[in-house]
Amino acid sequence: MNMPTTDILGGTPRRALNIFYVLDTSGSMDGIPVATLNRAMEETIEILKEQAKTNADALLKIAVLEFNSDCRWLQAAGPEEAEDFMWQEVKAGGLTEMGAALTELNSKLSRNAFLSSMTGAYLPIIIFMSDGYATSDYKPALDKIRKNKWFARAIKIGFAMSDDADIKMLAEVVGNSEAVVKTNDWELFARLIQFSSVTASMLASTSRTCTEPVTGADIIKEAIDSGEATEDILIDEHVEYDPEPEVEIDSGDWEEEDWD
Amino acid sequence: MDDSTKLAFGTKIKTMLGNELIVARWLAEGGQGDIYIIKYNEQFMALKWYKPKGLGKDPQAFYDNLKNNAKHGAPSEEFLWPLDVTEWMNGSFGYVMELRPPGYSELSDFMLTEVRFPSFRKITDAALHIVSAYRILHNQGYSYQDLNDGNFFINPNTGKVLICDNDNVAPNGMETGIAGKPRYMAPEIVLGKNMPNSLSDRFSMSVILFILFCLNHPLEGKKSLVPCLSPELQEKLYGSEATFIMDPSNRENGPHPEIHKNTTVVWPYLPDYMQDLFLTAFSQKALHNPNARPSELEWLKKLVRFRSEIVPCECGNEIFTENGKNCNCERCREKMQVPYRIRFRDYAIPGIADSRIYRCQLGICNTDEALKPVGHVIAKKSDKRALGLKNLSNQVWSVELASGKTRKVAPQEIMPLRDGMSVHLYNEVIKIEANE
Repeated sequence: MNMPTTDILGGTPRRALNIFYVLDTSGSMDGIPVATLNRAMEETIEILKEQAKTNADALLKIAVLEFNSDCRWLQAAGPEEAEDFMWQEVKAGGLTEMGAALTELNSKLSRNAFLSSMTGAYLPIIIFMSDGYATSDYKPALDKIRKNKWFARAIKIGFAMSDDADIKMLAEVVGNSEAVVKTNDWELFARLIQFSSVTASMLASTSRTCTEPVTGADIIKEAIDSGEATEDILIDEHVEYDPEPEVEIDSGDWEEEDWD
Repeated sequence: MDDSTKLAFGTKIKTMLGNELIVARWLAEGGQGDIYIIKYNEQFMALKWYKPKGLGKDPQAFYDNLKNNAKHGAPSEEFLWPLDVTEWMNGSFGYVMELRPPGYSELSDFMLTEVRFPSFRKITDAALHIVSAYRILHNQGYSYQDLNDGNFFINPNTGKVLICDNDNVAPNGMETGIAGKPRYMAPEIVLGKNMPNSLSDRFSMSVILFILFCLNHPLEGKKSLVPCLSPELQEKLYGSEATFIMDPSNRENGPHPEIHKNTTVVWPYLPDYMQDLFLTAFSQKALHNPNARPSELEWLKKLVRFRSEIVPCECGNEIFTENGKNCNCERCREKMQVPYRIRFRDYAIPGIADSRIYRCQLGICNTDEALKPVGHVIAKKSDKRALGLKNLSNQVWSVELASGKTRKVAPQEIMPLRDGMSVHLYNEVIKIEANE
């Protein structure tokens, strides 16, 4: 019998790992903040690209939703493979319609929208950044998205930039105040968004000391432990929000439809 | 990124062996620390320097264990072993090891098909080196603990392997605090029933071996194509409900025709005894009872046999010859002439030029001798069709000829291959049989 030649084999199948960035580009971001945001994202994506090249554990994909008076996906067709991803400059202007952003995100966190993957997927990672207060009531949108399984189970991190940021809103959105970084230092933001993105994207590739799942709060703690930031970035009051107050989770045997 | 833990060029650090190393340049960053090129004893070597936070819960115990490993020395040449450990400096330390030589690629590069083996025979060579290395490590009383795809550098053209990340190696049974990498941890570790040991190493090693051949994780079939790998599902797929992709008794996790094509292509080419070994290694019994996992020696024996049975045709094609019989090359349509069969107790390998007999094919042997060739088939310089078997062992062989006469073959001597010969070596008998 003839052995097959090794060149007929394709790469080892990889699950998709989606990273979502939900970024506030309202008027208050004008000037240094939006300029730093553009550079920070550009550099973060460069590093993610490099890592994606050698990542045999996950197929890294990136999607960016910017919101101000309205919201807009930088990649209209859905998350793009990190290796092909190119950062597009964002500009500041308009209001802070967090509710609209959550509604838009909710509509895309579905297998019928942005989360279709033949090879399956890891828990998504969602990183939020805002520097202000929502212009209108975001609570109804938040209540809705909390019922989205993808959102509920995602690894979520929030950045509350500037002293004017609504820390409580971000904590509510990510579900745990310990997964929120508060700072008005944009250089620190640049370092931390890079650290969080890289750490989260490497979760499937990192050896662990325990088998407990990793949360957004763990990643922030790791940033502090490894000297990337000091404890000042943490919010004093610790609040955890039940991600799905009315829906029982954690059963581990969800139906296929649950993921649509 | 934070640079406060980085070592500056020219930094001098003392080591436990009384040497002094000088940092030459930064090379790479890993999860636990950074790798530097250093000058050590007038040679360029590598230094792994830990981030203080990468030292785990008990840095002193970690340090002491590393020092003990360095004192013990590398179990075999496959390990990029800690050769010397530095003294503490600024709340951290590092260890010295050889630099990775050129020509070696990470296993992930093979998985992403950035690098490919030129042949299945070379894959088998790589598998043999991996199994042999872990056999030696385990037989010396150690466990590796964090065995995953990130630990291997492989030279595709020679099949040689270097095993890195040896810092969690510890006496078997000792807990270093590491659980392992997701998807490579044994089910009992995933389920929190145990901490890593040499039996969980065996599971992780089998995963690596299956990936080497099939470019597919053995527990990832249709059932693993979940829309979202929640922690609960992860625990099921790699723990409580782990199912081998080729499990004949449960097809639920069988290969998806498109996504798991690699497995469906390669599996039928694996000989029965290799399939059986994978089926045993990933049977429900072995998944959930660590003691039921095939030993390294079982892997070695089967892999050595497999290696012997893959023979190259002159056209470059690789042919799997079963039990040393003649066969046809499907590519060039030529008949592959296998003049002799070399028969062991329960199977035969082809007797063609460059066939080898390994020590582990002949009864009980010492760990470090398993992959030592004790016999090598070579062609006569003046007549390539005339084959002989060179005695590479340190024993005198006793050869019974078809005529009933007996001859002695001393080490380094060559005996001609003839039908009906019986060679007595290491309390075993191998028979030479001519093919029609």
